[in-house]
Amino acid sequence: MDLSYQIPRSALIWILLSVAVVLVPQSVRMPAWISVVAAVCIVWRVLIFRGKLSYPSRWMRILIVLFTLAVSIPQMRSVGIGLDSAAALLALGFVFKLIEMKQKRDIYIVISLCFVMTMVAFLYSQSIVATLYSLGAILVILGAMIALNRSINISDNWGTSKMAGKILLQAMPLAVVLFYVFPRIAPLWAVPIQSSGASTGVSNEMSPGDISSLGRSGDLAFRVQFENSEAPAHELLYWRGLVLTDFDGETWRRERSRSSFSIASARADKQLQWEGRMSRGGAAFDYNIILEATQQSWVYGLHLAEAIDDELFQSRNFELFNNGLVTQRLSYNLRSYLQSKTDFVLVDRVRRQNLELPSGGNSQSREFARQLRSSVTSNRDYVMAVLSHFSQNEYFYTLNPALLGNNRIDDFLFETREGFCEHYSSTFAYLMRAAGIPARVVIGYQGAELNPFENYMMVYQYNAHAWNEVWLEDEGWVRFDPTGAVSPDRVRLGVEAALRDDPAFLERSLFSSSGLGSINWINSLRLRMDALEYEWNRRVVNYDEDVQFELFEKIFGQVTEQKILFLLFGLASVVVIVVAFTVIRFEPKSKRGPVLSVYNKMSKDLEKIGLGRMKGEGPIAYRDRVVAARPDLRGIMMQITRLYVEISYQRRQVEESEIISQAKQIKRYGRQLKKALLKTSLST
Amino acid sequence: MRIKTLNVRSAFKARFSRWMAARVKRKEKVTLNRRIIYILPTRSGLMFVFAASLVFVAAINYAVSLAFGLAFLMISIFVLAILHGFNNLNQLKLRGLSSPAVFCEDQAAFKIELSRFSGRNHEALELSFPDSHATYVDLIKNDQEPVEVFIKTNERGCFKAPLLRITTHFPLGLCRAWSVVDLDLQCIVYPKPVNFSMADLSGGSASEEESAFVVSGSEDYYGLRDYVPGDSLRQVAWKNVARGQGMQLKQFVDYVDSEVWLDWDRFYGSAEEKLSRICFCTVKLAKGGSPFGLKLPGLEIAPGVGPEHRAKLLRALALFDKADVGES
Repeated sequence: MDLSYQIPRSALIWILLSVAVVLVPQSVRMPAWISVVAAVCIVWRVLIFRGKLSYPSRWMRILIVLFTLAVSIPQMRSVGIGLDSAAALLALGFVFKLIEMKQKRDIYIVISLCFVMTMVAFLYSQSIVATLYSLGAILVILGAMIALNRSINISDNWGTSKMAGKILLQAMPLAVVLFYVFPRIAPLWAVPIQSSGASTGVSNEMSPGDISSLGRSGDLAFRVQFENSEAPAHELLYWRGLVLTDFDGETWRRERSRSSFSIASARADKQLQWEGRMSRGGAAFDYNIILEATQQSWVYGLHLAEAIDDELFQSRNFELFNNGLVTQRLSYNLRSYLQSKTDFVLVDRVRRQNLELPSGGNSQSREFARQLRSSVTSNRDYVMAVLSHFSQNEYFYTLNPALLGNNRIDDFLFETREGFCEHYSSTFAYLMRAAGIPARVVIGYQGAELNPFENYMMVYQYNAHAWNEVWLEDEGWVRFDPTGAVSPDRVRLGVEAALRDDPAFLERSLFSSSGLGSINWINSLRLRMDALEYEWNRRVVNYDEDVQFELFEKIFGQVTEQKILFLLFGLASVVVIVVAFTVIRFEPKSKRGPVLSVYNKMSKDLEKIGLGRMKGEGPIAYRDRVVAARPDLRGIMMQITRLYVEISYQRRQVEESEIISQAKQIKRYGRQLKKALLKTSLST
Repeated sequence: MRIKTLNVRSAFKARFSRWMAARVKRKEKVTLNRRIIYILPTRSGLMFVFAASLVFVAAINYAVSLAFGLAFLMISIFVLAILHGFNNLNQLKLRGLSSPAVFCEDQAAFKIELSRFSGRNHEALELSFPDSHATYVDLIKNDQEPVEVFIKTNERGCFKAPLLRITTHFPLGLCRAWSVVDLDLQCIVYPKPVNFSMADLSGGSASEEESAFVVSGSEDYYGLRDYVPGDSLRQVAWKNVARGQGMQLKQFVDYVDSEVWLDWDRFYGSAEEKLSRICFCTVKLAKGGSPFGLKLPGLEIAPGVGPEHRAKLLRALALFDKADVGES
């Protein structure tokens, strides 16, 4: 090792730049002090280069290690040994390496870590923007590698970046081929990504204000594409999330006993033979959903969805659960029968659960329910009567309802009379239970926006909704939406139409279907961008071993290992060869090539009869010598030598066609010579 | 154990260099091509591949599609590093030039001219002889670039340069592309000058007749010697013949005090030591400007002056008693 190695100035700048570029997306998620440490280390490195500071001494390094341990252990305690703390630790080690990097080998450790950090960024986001950013980061890292290997006296940064761009472009084709063809392997051991990122979307309980706060957000919840059929009508697009059965007077919760969403509990639920509790009805709808990361475990589907091929589990209330939290965009395929019915027979325990109400309070509402129930003959009539109570009286659908007191059901029903879907569904379920009819709240999303460019639907956070399911004799659980009774537009046209004049709607997002989105071309641009992101997800992000297998099946029919290997190596080598032609400059073949080779062959042939060309003998002298010895070869020798001299010693530019004709001529003479020599050898 | 591995390693290395030496053709002009360019990953390259496999394992475990993409991109970049490294050496032309003579144990500077086909860049090239410092050169601006590559000499004579290695890590430092050529480089290595007091030459107790400063000439009568067939008859002392003393030759000498002879026999020490001392004197006398000559067993160079004379003498000293005297 050369101890006097000094990192070239321009290379150091490139390296520090790539470290910064790689750390920026992490700094958003990491604690702020890590970014500060990183900045200090970068500045320190610059000062070392300038000779104003020295490399850290041994004691300093020990101190740094102790410091890292001291800060990261409590952090791991608080956050848990998850992705976040691992990423933070990696980043910390990475920036500390920066200040003690002296030799080329240290620099390559930093460079390799830059690539690993780029990978960490992908664990958090795989969107188009994140990918483009990462490609930019790789460009900078490549620039650092090039700057490091150029001569010290060259500081041509433009040339370095051009070269980096060239290498990145040339590397893309092989990377793409490997991406699609290299056999994908399913995870060796399941490591659900544990991230402390805030969960988004509908939560597992419903208090007043929960859903209306989502109504202010224009973020995407998920995208849906119906495969073989038209999408159902807008009023049928109820994306079921969770079923809430427990009510404490203020908040609706999922049944307490089953609150852990592990695979084990979901499997146990499945064993409750839900098959027998359900009868399918109506046409089947097949569709694919790409859910944005929620940091929750449940996923959404239409009424009574069954997972087609994905590892999803169904609970006893026909909710869908993923194995682990949804920390990345998740794609899954479902099949729904919208007319399906469930639970013709209600188990006592479940019936009791769905009738339970807090013991006291809301006496006005209880009285109202009792009176209304006694005025009608059937439970179904009672449901209709409650719905018409909402539609015929002055109830309002708004994101900014008035505050409610302790008896919130009474207050809402008789005093404020304004609310969002959670108020209506909560009150509706209360009135049902008060009248002795099992009822529950379902939360999820309602409605969707069609993206005409790719023919798929987008469901936003403001589509979040709550509705009810009521158990009726001979019908099982039936969906009723009290919000729809109040604001029919909400269900038929969507929340945008229903809340068009509500100032609170989407107040947090400028760029969505209302607000700026009402301008035509901006809206169209928004839809196009989303379509691009959607395609990106379908074709790239969701490309996994299953999709790959399907692709192989499409190509080969029967998939065998040999075929895959053949495809992989065949394609990869073709691509490498093609790319090699763009990298390696081959010099044009000498124009003298054919003439020269015939001439040399001739002298070799003649050598056999003792007339080889001597060292340093000129072509004319050689010709004369041969002709003197073998007058019969005179004609051929004259011609071949003439052509040889012409093409070897001419100074003027020669046309391509002329060269070709000369080559042809000399080949003919060459054959004649061979014949002549053969004849003489036979005759002797 | 360590020693053993070292032995194995050096044995392997020796074997490899023998194999290489047999492969390399001695040619004054070489254009590098795929037959003589070798590529292997560097330590940094192996680390990079390790990082790529780390990314790949993470991609499998977390089932992150784009992390797969990143791992494949890294592998692809590695392949590109190989191709670019090759391209950086491919079609580079090297030509050995004649190199100046040096004194033994100095660094011999072999002159090499690098040239390229137009419009093609060769960057960060590293030329070196085994166990010597490398010379770095870029072929960016000019089509030709003369360089000097150094190696320490340790024996006088005609020094044939060992195999020249031309290496590049450009552009990414992940692979080392190199080629080994023999440009038929040689230079004359003079003996190492060893300090010697000139007084031992000029002074001394020897009589004038025996001194190194006597040159046979035509001016002063010196004495008689017996006739040897082939001698000029004009110098025969006919008077003595007439006296019946037999054929004797009159000898004449020139006494030239300004001329100095460096006589092999007047130096002490082993042959090499003698040569080293003569070399020292040659250099010293050449500075003085008075003519001096050289007498070696089987070789005599008449006194003269000037840089050419000096070079001639030094060359004679360098090649003295060396079997493989090559005219270069």
